Amino acid sequence: MTPFLSPEILSVTFAALMAAALLAYVVLDGYDLGVGLLLHMTEEEAERDRMVASIGPFWDANETWLVLAVGLMLVAFPMAHGMVLTALYLPVALMLVGLVLRGVAFEFRAKGAGPRDKRLWDLAFAGCSVLAAATQGWMLGRYVLGFAPGWGAQAFATLAAVGVACAYAFIGACWLIWRTEGALQRRAVAWARGLLWGVALGILAVSVATPLASARIMERWFEMPNLLLLAPLPLATFGLVWGLAALLRHMPLPGDALRRLPFCGAVGLFCLSFAGLAWSFFPYIVPERLTIWQAASAPESLTIILVGALFVLPVILAYTVLAWRIFGGKAMDLRYD
Amino acid sequence: MEALTLARIQFAANISFHILFPTVTIALGWVLLFFKLRFNATRDERWMDAYRFWVKVFALSFALGVVSGITMSFQFGTNWPGFMERVGNIAGPLLAYEILTAFFLEATFLGIMLFGFRRVPGWLHTLATFLVAFGTTMSAFWILVLNSWMHTPAGFEMRDGVAHATDWWAIVFTPSMPYRLAHMLIASGLTVAFLLAGMSAWRWLRGDRGPGVAAALRTGVVMAAVLAPTQLVVGDLHGLNTLEHQPAKVAAMEGNWETRPGVPLVLFAIPDEAARENRFEVAIPYGASLILKHDPQGVVPGLNDFRGEHPPVAPVFYAFRVMVGIGMLMIGFGLASAFFLWRRGELPHLLLHGLVAMTFAGWVATLAGWYVTEIGRQPWLVTGVLTTADAIGPVPAGSIGFTLAMYLVVYAGLLVAYVATLYRLARKGRVAEHVPGNAPVPQPA
Repeated sequence: MTPFLSPEILSVTFAALMAAALLAYVVLDGYDLGVGLLLHMTEEEAERDRMVASIGPFWDANETWLVLAVGLMLVAFPMAHGMVLTALYLPVALMLVGLVLRGVAFEFRAKGAGPRDKRLWDLAFAGCSVLAAATQGWMLGRYVLGFAPGWGAQAFATLAAVGVACAYAFIGACWLIWRTEGALQRRAVAWARGLLWGVALGILAVSVATPLASARIMERWFEMPNLLLLAPLPLATFGLVWGLAALLRHMPLPGDALRRLPFCGAVGLFCLSFAGLAWSFFPYIVPERLTIWQAASAPESLTIILVGALFVLPVILAYTVLAWRIFGGKAMDLRYD
Repeated sequence: MEALTLARIQFAANISFHILFPTVTIALGWVLLFFKLRFNATRDERWMDAYRFWVKVFALSFALGVVSGITMSFQFGTNWPGFMERVGNIAGPLLAYEILTAFFLEATFLGIMLFGFRRVPGWLHTLATFLVAFGTTMSAFWILVLNSWMHTPAGFEMRDGVAHATDWWAIVFTPSMPYRLAHMLIASGLTVAFLLAGMSAWRWLRGDRGPGVAAALRTGVVMAAVLAPTQLVVGDLHGLNTLEHQPAKVAAMEGNWETRPGVPLVLFAIPDEAARENRFEVAIPYGASLILKHDPQGVVPGLNDFRGEHPPVAPVFYAFRVMVGIGMLMIGFGLASAFFLWRRGELPHLLLHGLVAMTFAGWVATLAGWYVTEIGRQPWLVTGVLTTADAIGPVPAGSIGFTLAMYLVVYAGLLVAYVATLYRLARKGRVAEHVPGNAPVPQPA
């Protein structure tokens, strides 16, 4: 197919599509994994069932966004796909084992024989949610510092792992505030209150470390007029954390008012953090080594994908909205009939 | 072991584990739609019974297929970065279309299909079942398009060592694609036919003779009787196509060393690649010439014409015999079972036990068939364009070995858990049907 966009614009378009898919994944599977992380915070089996039921109809589709993000990197920036994934070989493998066992534990816990099997699969579900969340955070930490060697970089990656796990647990708790009621909802509010501070610390750590690690990023943020133009980003983040803290102090509200708001706030925090990272690294796809223009596939191949994506993505969004409407409201027990 | 061997074993282990589950879900999706449509038309509860049991098997298989498929999307980059660097311009769009047109469709509507029965109107639930089945088939279509292109590449040109697309129509419809797609879809149908028949026969023998069990048993038997002979014809056509485009693979499948007329059909032998001959050969005279050339004196290419660039002979040779052997058993069991159902309305005990033994035969045959075609492509990854050795990445052997061990442990555990859960569901199925108050509820209008 003849390209109708210039190669430069095509590369940027695909970088934007990939970033959007990755953000969708982090938000959507973030709450799934978060619910898994929180599973053993309650001892009551009925509450655990309800927590798992709340993500039941969604997790398959949520995980598909990861396949789309990685797939877009694979097809649009094959050189970057090879470089990033071979550099992160071991954490990727561990994350995959985590995602594999987390996904199947979901099925097996419901179809297992007795309570002992169920407890085992619950442990696998929670443990593997931790594994997947932590390895994703660790990879973020390695990526942010450009895969730098040394103990300092490893320590930072560990901090990022904890930060991302906190962020997932936080959005998971906010999801539960929206989707559950009664005692479980009250517990979720308490979890969210504590986790919010972990999230704030994680965002702060990454925001301080990235400019210190790279002069280019430092310049990008702190030069005039960028400093003023970008000021809304950290200010909005600060305001959002403050607002969420105030809101969570009073939840649950009478009549279950504003039950969606914490989740929306969490999504907002994810978006702001993501925007900050995107600004720091654009146009690099492998930090300081490879730009999106150097890594891109041939324009004719990108064009044929883009045409397909323009037709199909709206359809995907439409039926995703349909599924969310069908399974809206408070979580109920999962039944096949 | 060196990194290349380990990377190959790892990829083979992952893709072998992965293919088990799509092989079940591709055809089972359509079978579920059939159950649902029969129920819609007849309002006969037996179809809904069958649906309720097999939708659980579908959900479990689908989950395993999704999570092992995610592993695959990463391993293209971790194990074979050279693949995407060289042919990414072709493979990329094909994979992208698979994700966009299939993965989201099946994953989203699966939620509605599984948990939406009481939440959506009946027609929407039937539509969701259709879209899930359609999605799994689309997924098979795109991945087989890519795989076929790797076997018989077309519609591209090489510029600076990188493949560039020139004709997308030719890339999608490569010479081997229609045969490979048909062969795989029927393989999925046969796998599900024997899974349905085998599990239902097991339940039947245990005294669990509800109408849903009988309906699933009958469906499986009819599918087997129709699809097994069809597969013989389609497989033969696929073989002739391979003879035309990848003669070295066929030579390895037949265990034929010299190009000559009147080649016998080797039933069994131990191919000795060092001595370049077969030991302990049992053969039917002129058989291979007859099958491949439809002429007892037809000339069949031999491995010695492809010295140094033909695949390892023994694995291709043995895997081919495993696949064909199981195929013959399937034809026998399918036709015999259908005959007894037709004439007597029920199956004799011996045949029921046989079907139980054949429950997972489709898996073995499908894997054996894939080993024939994929090992048979070596040393090429993309025929004539890229060798497997050139696609390997820089990851050290130690890392690959460690993760390989980890994957193998996980996969072995999951396979045991999967099969155990299927039989547990089958045992529970009987209990559920006899619990008071668990009577079938009419579907909301």
